[in-house]
Amino acid sequence: MKAANNHYDIVIVGGGVVGCAIARELSKYKINIAVLEKEADVGWGISCRNSGVIHAGFNYKPGTLRAELCLEGNKSFAKLCQELDVPYKKIGKVVVAQKKEEIGGLKKLKSQGEKNRVEGLQIINSIELKKLEPNVKGIAALYSPKTAITSPYLLTIALAENALRNGVSFFLNTEVKNIAKLRNSNFKINTNKGKFTSSYVINSAGLYSDKVAHMVEKNKYRIHPCRGEYHILDKNVSWLINHLIYPVPQTGAGGLGVHLTPTIDGNILIGPSDKYIKRKDNLSITSSVMKMLSAEAREFSPLISPGYVIRSYSGIRAKQAPSSEGGYWDFVIEESDKISNFINLIGIESPGLTAAQPIAKRVVEIINIKERLNSNPNFNPFRKGILRFEEQDEKTKKALIKQNSDYGEIVCRCEKVTKKEILEAINNPLRARSLISIKYRTRAMMGRCQGGYCLPRIIEILRENFNLAPREITLKGNNSYLLVGYRSNKESESCKKKKLLSLAEGLLV
Amino acid sequence: MQEKEVIIIGGGAAGLAAAVACEQKGIKNVLIIERGNYLGGILQQCIHDGFGLEKFNTSLAGPEYAQRYIDQVKEKEIPFLLNSMVVSLTPQKEVTVINNNGYTHYQAKVIILAMGCRERTRGAIGIPGARPSGIYTAGVAQELINLKNYMVGEKIVVLGSGDIGLIMARRLSLEGAEVIMVAEKLPYSSGLPRNINQCLYDFDIPLLLSHTVVDIKGNGRLSEVTIAQLGKRGGIIPQGRRKIACDTLLLSVGLIPENELSREAGIVLDNITGGPQVDERGQTSIPGIFACGNVLQVHDIVDNVSLEAEYILEGVAEYLKGKLTKEQEINVELGEGLRYVVPQRLISRKDTIFSFRVNQPGRKKILLFEEGRRLIKKKSLRRVNPAEMVRIKLSSREVEGIKTLKVRLV
Amino acid sequence: MEREFTCIMCPKGCLIKVEYEGTDIKNIKGDECPKGKEYVKNEITNPLRVFTGSVLVGNGDFSLVSVKTPSPIPKKYLKKIGEITRRIKVEAPIAISQVLASNLLGNNIDLIATRKIKKKISLSY
Repeated sequence: MKAANNHYDIVIVGGGVVGCAIARELSKYKINIAVLEKEADVGWGISCRNSGVIHAGFNYKPGTLRAELCLEGNKSFAKLCQELDVPYKKIGKVVVAQKKEEIGGLKKLKSQGEKNRVEGLQIINSIELKKLEPNVKGIAALYSPKTAITSPYLLTIALAENALRNGVSFFLNTEVKNIAKLRNSNFKINTNKGKFTSSYVINSAGLYSDKVAHMVEKNKYRIHPCRGEYHILDKNVSWLINHLIYPVPQTGAGGLGVHLTPTIDGNILIGPSDKYIKRKDNLSITSSVMKMLSAEAREFSPLISPGYVIRSYSGIRAKQAPSSEGGYWDFVIEESDKISNFINLIGIESPGLTAAQPIAKRVVEIINIKERLNSNPNFNPFRKGILRFEEQDEKTKKALIKQNSDYGEIVCRCEKVTKKEILEAINNPLRARSLISIKYRTRAMMGRCQGGYCLPRIIEILRENFNLAPREITLKGNNSYLLVGYRSNKESESCKKKKLLSLAEGLLV
Repeated sequence: MQEKEVIIIGGGAAGLAAAVACEQKGIKNVLIIERGNYLGGILQQCIHDGFGLEKFNTSLAGPEYAQRYIDQVKEKEIPFLLNSMVVSLTPQKEVTVINNNGYTHYQAKVIILAMGCRERTRGAIGIPGARPSGIYTAGVAQELINLKNYMVGEKIVVLGSGDIGLIMARRLSLEGAEVIMVAEKLPYSSGLPRNINQCLYDFDIPLLLSHTVVDIKGNGRLSEVTIAQLGKRGGIIPQGRRKIACDTLLLSVGLIPENELSREAGIVLDNITGGPQVDERGQTSIPGIFACGNVLQVHDIVDNVSLEAEYILEGVAEYLKGKLTKEQEINVELGEGLRYVVPQRLISRKDTIFSFRVNQPGRKKILLFEEGRRLIKKKSLRRVNPAEMVRIKLSSREVEGIKTLKVRLV
Repeated sequence: MEREFTCIMCPKGCLIKVEYEGTDIKNIKGDECPKGKEYVKNEITNPLRVFTGSVLVGNGDFSLVSVKTPSPIPKKYLKKIGEITRRIKVEAPIAISQVLASNLLGNNIDLIATRKIKKKISLSY
C-alpha cells in the first residue's frame, strides 16, 4: 500500500534476501512498509552471489545467533520454499579430509554440530565416501544429510513478490543518502529519488550496513569486504558429484574454503575464494584466483578440467572481522541503544541465506514488543513463480503450447527457456527490466553459450513489449546500456530508384 | 509419430545444400527443421562478399549465396519448418520438435546433423576483470548490426584475429565506429591473408600479435580494457601492459560445433574438431546419422560446406538403399604437423575426400598418406596455415585394399 | 615503405613484395604472372574494393536489406558510401540484384540488393 506523503510505518533499507524476508514477515501485520533498494532489482548485493547453500549448522560456534538461527532456518526452509514456489533440494554435504591431520577437524565439526543439535551427522570412511562420491578423493568425511540447496536469487525475488502482494511497497533504484531523526521521533530519509519518512528504520543494507548505521549515530560498526570468486561448470559435467563437497575449514580464513556445489539448476560451482579487498564494489574476477580455484577443484576431483568452465563471477562477504583477524563475528540484530526504533542488521554473512526468515522473525519480535502489531487478516503466504516449461512432462508441455503458443517458441536454447517465460519475467511485479533481472527469473543467458543465441531475441521482446529506445535496454540498470542506438535513423529518407545522390548534399538531388 | 526418410537438423548452409542434394538423388519425404525464423542460418548475417567463388564462380554476399539454395528448396517444394527447435534426438533416430503448433515426434530413417556452431565466450576463456555491458562475441554483434539495425558501440577493441573478428572490424568501421585495434594472442593471425589486407590495412586498424586482454573495467558499461603482450611460451610480459579506453570489446576467440543433441544421442565426438567422429561417408558412430558443415568441423569457406553436404549424400543414399558397403574398418592415424583429419575412420574403400588443418603456418610442405612404410599419395602444398582448411581427394584406386592409413605433414 | 601482398587473382596466392613511396612503385618481387603485377600496382596506386552494407527496408520480412556495389569502387569512398546507407530507406519487396540507389557520389556508384526481401504479411484478425 503506498502511503500518503511517502510516510511509512517501517522503512527497510536494503532489498536483499534478509530485507525481503523482513518485509514479508512484517506484511503479516497491518502496517505500511517500504523497502528501499539502490540497485535495479532485489538481491543484487550479496544475496544473488553466494553458493545457495542451506547449511545444517555444524560450522558455527554453539550459543551464537549464527548457530541458533541456522538451525531454525534449516528446519523451516523446505516449507518456506514450498510456500514461495522456489526450488529446494536436500542434497546433503560431505566435508572431505584429504590428510590424516584433518580427521581431527572432522570430529570437531561433528561435535560442534551435535552441540548445535544438528541431526544425522556421521563420520564416514574412504570406502563409504567412494560409494557416495565415486569421483572425489578423500580419506574420510563428515556426512551431513540435512544440508540443502536452493536458488538464492529466486528466493529473494519470491520473498519480495510475496511481500509486494501483501502490501509492501518496493522502491528500486533508490539509494538512501542520509537519515535524520526528527523531533516528532520519526525518521527523515533522503534518497536520490526523494524523501521518505517513517517511524522505524530497519538497516539491512548488507555491505553498506555500517554506512547506513553511521547515518544516525557514530558507532563501532565496520564492514570489511571480503571477496569470493567462483567458477560455474557446464551442465554436461554435473554427473561428477552428487553432494556438496567441502574441505575441512581452516581457522582464521575469511570463508569456509573452496568447495564444489551442485546448484539447484544442475551446474557445479567451484568456490568461493576469500580475499579481503579495499572497495565494496570491486567485483572483479582475478586471474590468480581463477587458476587457484581450478587447482583446488582438482584436489577433490582430478576429473575437473578448466575446459568445463562456462563463466566466473564473484560475491563480496560483509565481514565484521578485520583482515588481521579473519574468522567470523556473530550476527548483530539489534535496536540501536542510542537511537530508538532504528534496527541494525550487521555482518550477515554465512549462514545469512539459511537464517533469513529466522532473522526476519527476530526483527519482528523487536518491533512487536514495542508496538503490539495487529495481524493482517489478508496475509497470503503463497506465491507462484514463473512456470518452468522445461521441467514439465510431455503431456503438460503439449497442453501448455496449446493454451499459449508462446510456450512453443524456445528463446534460450541452452536452458530451454520459452518466450512465455521471458514475457512473464519482463512483466514481473517489481518492474525490474534489466537483462540480469530476466536472467535470474528465467535462467536465460545462463547456459554455455552465455546469451549467444538468445540475447538478440530477448532485446526484441523487451523493445516490443515496452516500446523502449535501444539505449534504454540495460544489462543491470544505470549506465549498463547494451546498444548505443540504431545504426540507421528510423526516419531515414526514402530512396527513390535512379535518383542522383550528390556528394555535397549527401542525399536526394 | 510422423515418419520421414530424412530429417535435416538445421536450415543453414549445410542443411540447405544437403536438402537440395537429397532431392537430386531422388530422396523424397525430407524435412528441414530450423530454429530461426528464416532459412540460411549464419549466411543471412554475413553481408560481406567472397562467398561462392568456387561453387558459382562469382563473389556473392552471404544472403545471396543462401538464396541460391533457398530458391531451390522452394522450387522443389522441399518441406521445412521454421521457428522449430529440436529438443531431443535419440540413437533410434527419433526427433522431438517444439514450435508454436505443439510438441511433435518424428521418426526418421536418416538424420543429417547440420546445426552449425556457437561462439566461444568471455566466460569460457576466463578474461579477468569486471563484467560490464559492452562485451560481445563477434557473431552476436554481427546479428545486431546486420539484421536488427542496432549499433553496439562507438570505440571498439577486437580480441581475436580470426576471420569473424576481422570482418567485424571492417563492418564496425564502415558503420561509423572507431576500431582501436585487433589483438591476437598467437604470434600469427588466424584469419585469411586477404582479410588482413581488406579489413585491417584498408582501415588503418593496427593488429597486435601476441597480445591478449588481461583486465576489463567498467561501471555499468565497459570503459577500459588492459592488453598485455605474451612471451614465447604464452606468459604475460609485465612491462607490456597497456590500458585502452573503449566502450566495446568484441570477442572472436573461436567457434565450437553445436553438438548438444549429438551428445545426448550418444554420438562419439572428436575432442579436437568438437564435432562427431565420422567415416568417409560422413556417418557418425550411430548408423544412419550423418553430419556435415560446421557441426562436423568448423569451416572457413562456405563453398566447402556445400561440397561437404553434397558429398555425404552419397553415403545417405547408399544407406537408404541398404547398400552401405563395409570393408575392414580402419582408423585414420593422425601424424605430425596436422591438427586433425576428417574423416576419422574408413569403413569402405571408395573415393574419399579428406579435410584437415595444419598445426602451424608453413611453406613448401608435403602432405603424406601412408600405409605403414608404403606411400599412398603425396601432395605438395606451397603455403599452409591453420586458418585454411585443405581438402584432398583420394581415389578408390588409391585406397583400395589398404589396411592402415596414416596422414602427416612434413 | 615495403609491404607484402597476397595476390587474390587466382588460387595460387603468390606472395608479392612491393617497395614503394606514396603511390610511386620502386620494386616488385615474387609475382609469377602479369595479373599479379597488375593487382599489386592497383593496390598501391588505386585500390578498388567492393562495398557491402545494409539499408533500412519498410514493410519487409527483414528490417534491413544487405547491399553491395556491383563492382569494386575506389577504396577512399567506402566510408562515405557507408554513411549514405544509413540515411536512406527502401520499400519491400526487393529482389536480389535490384538496384536500390544509383550514381552515388556522382561517381557511377550503384547499390544493389544482396538479400531477397518479401513484403511482410500483416496478420489481421
